[in-house]
Amino acid sequence: MDKGRISSIQMGMMMYLTILATAILTVPSITAKYAKKDLWLSPIWASIIGFFTVIIVIQLSKRFPRQSFFQICEHTIGTLATKLLGFLYFTFFLIASGQITRTYAEFIKVFFIKTPVSVIMITMLLLSAFTVIAGIEVIGRVAQLFFPIFVFSVFIIIFLLLPQLEPSNIFPILENGLLPSLKGAIIPQIWFGELFLIVFLLPSLSDSKGMKWGILTVLLILVTFIITNITVLFILNQNTEFYIYPFLSATQLVNLGDFIESIEPIIIAIWILGTFIKITVFYYVTILTTAQWLKLSDYKPIVWPIGILIVEVSFWAVPNLMVNNHIDITVFPFLFPIMQTFIPLFILGMAVIRKKSKSLEI
Amino acid sequence: MKRFFLSLSFFLSIFMLSGCWDRVEVNDIAIITATAIDLTEDNQIKVTAQVFIPRALSGGGGLGTGGGDLTLIRTGIGSNLADAVSKLQMVLPRTIFWGQCKVFIFGMGLAENGIREQFDFLVRHPEPRGRAFMFVSKADTEKVLQLLPPLERYSGEVLKELLDFKIGLPVTMKDLDLMLTSDAQNAVLPLIKVYPPNKGKTENESIPYISGSAIFSKDKMIGTIGEYETRGIMWIKNMLKYSTISFKAGNEEEEISVSPVQSDVKLKPRISKDKWKMTIKVQAEGDVVQNETKLNLMDPETIKRLEIDFGKNIKHRIEAAIDPLQKEFNIDIIDFATEFHHHYPKEWKKVKNRWNEIFPQIEVSVDVNANIRRPGYTSTPSGLPKDEVKK
Repeated sequence: MDKGRISSIQMGMMMYLTILATAILTVPSITAKYAKKDLWLSPIWASIIGFFTVIIVIQLSKRFPRQSFFQICEHTIGTLATKLLGFLYFTFFLIASGQITRTYAEFIKVFFIKTPVSVIMITMLLLSAFTVIAGIEVIGRVAQLFFPIFVFSVFIIIFLLLPQLEPSNIFPILENGLLPSLKGAIIPQIWFGELFLIVFLLPSLSDSKGMKWGILTVLLILVTFIITNITVLFILNQNTEFYIYPFLSATQLVNLGDFIESIEPIIIAIWILGTFIKITVFYYVTILTTAQWLKLSDYKPIVWPIGILIVEVSFWAVPNLMVNNHIDITVFPFLFPIMQTFIPLFILGMAVIRKKSKSLEI
Repeated sequence: MKRFFLSLSFFLSIFMLSGCWDRVEVNDIAIITATAIDLTEDNQIKVTAQVFIPRALSGGGGLGTGGGDLTLIRTGIGSNLADAVSKLQMVLPRTIFWGQCKVFIFGMGLAENGIREQFDFLVRHPEPRGRAFMFVSKADTEKVLQLLPPLERYSGEVLKELLDFKIGLPVTMKDLDLMLTSDAQNAVLPLIKVYPPNKGKTENESIPYISGSAIFSKDKMIGTIGEYETRGIMWIKNMLKYSTISFKAGNEEEEISVSPVQSDVKLKPRISKDKWKMTIKVQAEGDVVQNETKLNLMDPETIKRLEIDFGKNIKHRIEAAIDPLQKEFNIDIIDFATEFHHHYPKEWKKVKNRWNEIFPQIEVSVDVNANIRRPGYTSTPSGLPKDEVKK
């Protein structure tokens, strides 16, 4: 369908930005609500889902090389079930894209008080739509371009915050046992589960190092996650859970010799870069899912209609920021693992039981 | 056709890309440099803002001292802070901008009534900085902001500069937020008084200065402590990196001064047999800057004796700070709760809800290791004949 090819490193960068762009800002706060001072441990437990998902997806693609996810499903569970599953994934990705777009808009709205939310979302989706039409190769290259900027900015901010860090805030470690940090892991695991998206990227890989870079991406995300969580904890201490965007609030405290201060525009800029990749990847996957599910010959004609639908969904599903965060806590911890980890696991299981595989004969 | 639409969209985007339709220029905003929040007699919130006048800085020809004031004062009264601020906007022709406000002052009336309700506005609003300093003022808050400091540009700047070299406890908005939710849930803020103006000057030509601290139980102010005790608290909190200490040397009548004293303080909590103990370990060292006595400072034996007296002085300072907290106020503002929580999480959980009862019973011991490193430029007391120098 999309003839473009990306390298597995580009795939890793895409996933890194997709996952961390939103995770850095809102997740520390939600994690802290349950894990309290052990919030830096939670990503470790959460990353297990990440590794698990990557391994499942890679195993699937090894059994069915260069096959799309729904083709794999057809081979294992039959046409009718695949059609049903396709519908499920279509709605799932539509809701996910809508919610991500809304989260982005809500954050930008804090600074652009007078700009209507719809304008913020439409301008972003317009840009994403052009990128999606251009295909996977362009998305991969844009990710490669933004990745160093993103990583560099995050670490320069952490570096500038070093004088403010209060390492004793980490104590007492595991005050109430392991349970709080495990509970805290329920939210970040959603983000790690998003690595499932590589199932749609693997057929476009130009090399065969998908496994290696998939695992490496999870590791890198894990490390960044822990570092940002620890930074936030060392600065905001027990108040982390009360801030909606703790990393942003921490960034506002940067002050180097009364000279370098108020650098939070940087974090807004990198957030826009990162979310652009995130929205584009989800948008692309939504389009691809729809096209593969309906067996369309080309995906380009549906890019615009689906884009309008994403904007609509982001309004229908989310009335305000409180509900947005509430959905993050109550619905997504169950919905995302089922769609991203357990259904692929089930399909892999079926494939193993029925001893199905398909070698290169397209 | 395609080319036409492409070029059209390029041209159209020129109008969009300028991004100026809702721009905010410097001459559209009223930059607030300091804010005071107080309670009126009929329990309304009064907010007083010190607004920077950019014109006063740019016009008027450089260093001319006779120019107009650099700031103006406006007040707004409302049922809460947000309401008062909107009333304040009614008397300001420009949009209020909080981003540069580095000083927030609570009036005594509000502090005694509880600051939490109004503090919420400052934390929730996206503009006020987490790094802004918080104060409590003994003097009328409006008067403090009206002062015209002779050295600095406006009174808010004076307070910020004073804190920069640690004259009082530097407490930022983020610190206050952390204090109020910390294990002990108490807070301490620097207290402002107005320095009496020099002879022949008008009442307004003076500066606000920091004198001691206000003690808060939860968010309500319950008392004040003096400068000496405040510095003791700063010792315990390890905030005092450089200071001057004068002490009586042994049996001598006169004093020896050491400066700058560099110090490092560690809190070591211990629980043994239900007795809660806190050891404050102080490591301090400094150089002699004044010697009133007749002692020869080059003698290692003398220095050894002096170091003991030096240590005793520091110990006294710290004990003097803890004493009123344990005996008079019964509240913990020196992070003892946090230390016990970190080291004894299980025991802490049992006493968490009645910490104010436990805190006065904690046995505090101060363990000082003080060193005098150098005598300064002279060895024997200056201006003293050699045969009068004591051993």
